[in-house]
Amino acid sequence: MNSSIITVSNLNKHFKVRKHHRGRMAGLRNFFTHEYRLVRAVDGVSFQIAPGELVGYIGPNGAGKSTTLKMLTGLLVPTSGEMHVDGRVPWKERQAHVAGLGAVFGQRTTLWWDLPVIESLDLLQHIYKIPEARFRQNLDEFREILELDPFLDTPVRSLSLGQRMRADICAALLHDPKLLFLDEPTIGLDVVAKERIRQFILHINRERDTTVILTTHDLSDVEKLCERVLIIDHGKLLFDGTLEALRERFNGRRELVVDFAEAYESVGIDGAQVVAWDGKHATYQFERKTITASELIGRLSARYQIHDLEVREPEIEATVRRIYEERLLES
Amino acid sequence: MQWHLDLYRRLLAVQLRSQLQYRASFTLDAIPSALVSAVEFAAPMLVLQRFGNNIGGWTLVELALLYGMIDVAYALTDLFFGGFDPDYFAPMVQRGTLDQLLLRPTNITLQILGSEFRLRRFGRIAQGGIILVVALALVGVRWTPAKIIYLPIVLLGQVAFFGSLFIIGSTTTFWTVQRVEIINVFTSGGRVAMYYPMHIYTKWVRRIFTIVPVIFLNYYPALYLLDKSDPLNMPALAPFLAPVVGFGLLAAALGFWKFGLRHYASTGT
Repeated sequence: MNSSIITVSNLNKHFKVRKHHRGRMAGLRNFFTHEYRLVRAVDGVSFQIAPGELVGYIGPNGAGKSTTLKMLTGLLVPTSGEMHVDGRVPWKERQAHVAGLGAVFGQRTTLWWDLPVIESLDLLQHIYKIPEARFRQNLDEFREILELDPFLDTPVRSLSLGQRMRADICAALLHDPKLLFLDEPTIGLDVVAKERIRQFILHINRERDTTVILTTHDLSDVEKLCERVLIIDHGKLLFDGTLEALRERFNGRRELVVDFAEAYESVGIDGAQVVAWDGKHATYQFERKTITASELIGRLSARYQIHDLEVREPEIEATVRRIYEERLLES
Repeated sequence: MQWHLDLYRRLLAVQLRSQLQYRASFTLDAIPSALVSAVEFAAPMLVLQRFGNNIGGWTLVELALLYGMIDVAYALTDLFFGGFDPDYFAPMVQRGTLDQLLLRPTNITLQILGSEFRLRRFGRIAQGGIILVVALALVGVRWTPAKIIYLPIVLLGQVAFFGSLFIIGSTTTFWTVQRVEIINVFTSGGRVAMYYPMHIYTKWVRRIFTIVPVIFLNYYPALYLLDKSDPLNMPALAPFLAPVVGFGLLAAALGFWKFGLRHYASTGT
């Protein structure tokens, strides 16, 4: 597919991990024996990403997210499989490859620890060979949206986590990368800081058509940002599709919460189930496949006097937790 | 090339600037490190006095020349190859800082060389430099144009030698994660061994120093500078091997480093 900016097919990354003995004489046995266990960190993963997409790459700890990201950024060579990112094989042309991408690994910084933020950014201008006019233009824009000015002259080591993350994201985008990789961009941030980062990611994706791949633990990141999710666990890609499709497939039950104008003896209705009822309030659950929300509302309002109502989508977090816990996707 | 030199200059400049902000800490760091090496120098010299001021027929100032060259070279290595000091490099791999450098579109070796440049090492360079200059003045070298060119080339060869050991030591941490102590046998051991004239060692020790060719790095250059005859009857070329040994090892170390990077890319941490 020529229209893809990222093509990954049958990607594998296997590690040999030293086996550690336990119990008696474990230390001695560990010293003398070298038994290895094969860990399939990434196991037969394939996907394609089109330019301008904003994709969430999610999975529990140790699922293979970081390993995939390291291969996409050219840091790690896969055991087997193919990968093309913007026409290149990442690990074969490291320098050319990383020149066209921005990457932020949540817990680390690319900035110089002891330098004021602005000096780090100046150095990056030189490293990425960014033309002066372009650099100024980008910096001015990011300074405003990310509100960098209050700490532009502060050494990185004195920044708060949220400030550092904003500075790092700015640093990753100054050279107009086509691709942006974000590994846990909101980890450890408070609600306001999270929201600011999310708004900025959306802005970059929409205004500049930057392709964004983000890994996260925080599913509200995915809910607010991504149209498409990839779910990985135990190295295997479990799901690739829209959030909508994910909800439909694994937790199709939506909820309708109704406030009636008066108390009714019974509030039953065809096509939905009453799961909670007290006096004037009732909660219905219904399947997307059997009835639409408007149909259900139509039936209800034909019979009862409705004061107010609300449709609730199943929470993505609950859905994904169910997928991990019940291994719904393994078959 | 021009661009790379410029980047290197910038990387060093920003570190100098940020370190100069803490002038007090710089002085507090530089003075002890100069004191440590002064004591390291003084202790054997005091012992020497008890033994009639000479080792193997070499006077105190002649020994100071051996000491001064190595000390300056080692301090320069510490300054310019600080990023490859295994004590600095090993945590860099563990914390993922190396990955951050690999994500930048420029030469990785240059970035590491430019990542740790500590002003306080100037204390030690100055201290070694003073010993070297005083020794050269007192020992009465009969200077020729050749010797004036010769001395800095020898020092460069020694810096290349110690720098190679740093690089090799750092590269091994790709496999071991932790810094490996054995490399210190060569860095510290080799350094201390070169403080003394090689002919005082027994034959088998000398043979080791010929195979691990530290004998050419300091002893033969000193013989040449002092116009001493060679008690070991090596080929006449021996005094000129210092840069060959130093830069030869550096080339090998860089090859090993490239190999290590490839291993790192296939295993990660």
